[in-house]
Amino acid sequence: MNQIHFRRTLALLLGPGTVFLVFIFLAPLLFVLVESFQGDEGGITLARYRDVLADAQFRSVYLRTLKMALIVTPIAVLLAYPSSYLLTKLPAGRKSVLMSLVILPLMTNPVARTYAWIVMLGKYGIVNQSLRFLRLTDEPVRLMYTEGAIILGLLQLFLPIMVLTLVSAMENVPGDVEEAAQSLGSSRFGSFIRVIVPLSFDGLILGVTLVFTGCITAYVTPAILGGSRVLTLSTLMRQEALVLMNWEAATVIAVVMILTTLILHTGLRRLRPKNL
Amino acid sequence: MKTSVAVVVMLFAATAIFATGVDDSAEAGMESGMPFKGETLTVSMWGYNMDILEKNVIVPFEEKHGVEIITETGNNSDRFTKMMARKDNPQVDVALFAGSWAYKAMAEEIIKPYNPALLTNLDSIMDSAKDPLGGRYALGYTIQHLGLFYRSDKVDPITSWKDLSRDDLAGFLTIPQITTTYGPTLIYMLSKAWTGDFDNTDAGWEKLAELAPSVVTAYSRSSEMNTLVLQEEVYAAPYASFAWGGIKNSGLEVQSVIPEEGLVGSFSMVSIGAGTTKDELAHLYMDHLMSYEVQLSEAMDLVDSPVHNDVELPREIAENLTYGDELISQLNFFSQKEMADNQEEWIDRWNAIFSD
Repeated sequence: MNQIHFRRTLALLLGPGTVFLVFIFLAPLLFVLVESFQGDEGGITLARYRDVLADAQFRSVYLRTLKMALIVTPIAVLLAYPSSYLLTKLPAGRKSVLMSLVILPLMTNPVARTYAWIVMLGKYGIVNQSLRFLRLTDEPVRLMYTEGAIILGLLQLFLPIMVLTLVSAMENVPGDVEEAAQSLGSSRFGSFIRVIVPLSFDGLILGVTLVFTGCITAYVTPAILGGSRVLTLSTLMRQEALVLMNWEAATVIAVVMILTTLILHTGLRRLRPKNL
Repeated sequence: MKTSVAVVVMLFAATAIFATGVDDSAEAGMESGMPFKGETLTVSMWGYNMDILEKNVIVPFEEKHGVEIITETGNNSDRFTKMMARKDNPQVDVALFAGSWAYKAMAEEIIKPYNPALLTNLDSIMDSAKDPLGGRYALGYTIQHLGLFYRSDKVDPITSWKDLSRDDLAGFLTIPQITTTYGPTLIYMLSKAWTGDFDNTDAGWEKLAELAPSVVTAYSRSSEMNTLVLQEEVYAAPYASFAWGGIKNSGLEVQSVIPEEGLVGSFSMVSIGAGTTKDELAHLYMDHLMSYEVQLSEAMDLVDSPVHNDVELPREIAENLTYGDELISQLNFFSQKEMADNQEEWIDRWNAIFSD
């Protein structure tokens, strides 16, 4: 009887979320996947993949997008780990204020946030003015519409996500394990590396996956900060779908994006320490 | 059993009341000179300046005919995609598109030819606006142009499309993206400027490749160009005439020019939805857009340049629009078919040049 009651409760609790995920997320995803393998006259074919993957431009855009994601993600990890650690050590009041500041970029309109970078990085923006003031350059340096500008924009956008996931993971690490490590002779840095990092590894995997996926799929930031000079997968996909009406190619690009993040996530899970 | 009888009686009664209502409404419409009274008309259009369009176009039409206009707003590609997705169950009666998208809509048969007999204002509009796509698939209801402007306090005057390659403009230039209405026309103008022949487009592409390092970025919306101007990122650019107000009001010293090779002209087009069941009403709306009153009020509010031959504008309004014999005579119009046919190849060529 208890078993039946438990199952019913479980179904009631999981049901709405499952239904939502199936109809809003999995079904469209499945539709995209099936569509990407369909031939022009029906049937299943790899022709669309052959066409897209054989295109030198797609390959160059893919590698560029991957490169930017692979630059942004480790920087986000390096910046987020110490600050997240510090946040978990702060008293509740100060922590709450600082957490609000961390998530501030996420609460800003993405277009407004990205346009703020134009003011910062423009020819006569704050960065260029500072460079000239410091006599590091005579002429304005081109900072906007470069890969560097996109990397900066993506880092600002996704660093809070990395911090949030790491803070959440570190909060679950019992405080006494660190003390135990230190009482056994480990330094503060040593206990951070050998105890805190492994114990927050699940949060790291989640954070890396979210940031990497975000970098691969972001549209507004690369579109505004890269302009016409730096095409990324998402801006190329938009061009294929909404300008050329080439939904077939757009579908393949979408699947490539999903597969790339899935491969990364699976790879990271394998790196997880076995004894955790 | 009793329930079934009651339901049938109620259905009959409801049908009778509904039918009477419809008859009454139609009859009242006929009597008041509004044969379409109570009907709705779905118009697919851009969402810009909606308050002015409501005042000048939509409300006067609704009041005149006792109908309700339902607007479907969005950019060209969004609305085109929507119409394509509902091709078997069309819901748009009148569609407004930029030239290249109107051509695509024609090729995909989501718009159909208009009936000139139902358009009383047809004889009053510019000849070139009467059938810009061929086959009477669209009317040009407003005219625009791609011109050149420069910062008169920063660089020497521009007199030719060739001047875009000048050294003093390097690093201070923006151009329209190849995916925009005017992007491909830049290739034609560069071809003309450097070889004297619009059709020698390979030469135009060569010049574009030489120009590319000088370009800060290419813009896909006029608002992006305005931002680049305001941030003083650019000192010169080809600009769409409808963006001139924003450039002029930037407070910077800007000057527009008619280059020696001329300007690029284009129309925004209005067409009848292929699956409309309201043919006559759709033509009435199309005709309304061409009417003297609508064309004048839209021009006076600086929304659209008129194609109606009788509209006369004061100088301060005219200088902000595509208006006047001198300017109109400098316009070059290009084949929408050719641009649509070249689109995929040209986008690839563009990406190869700009996205290094």
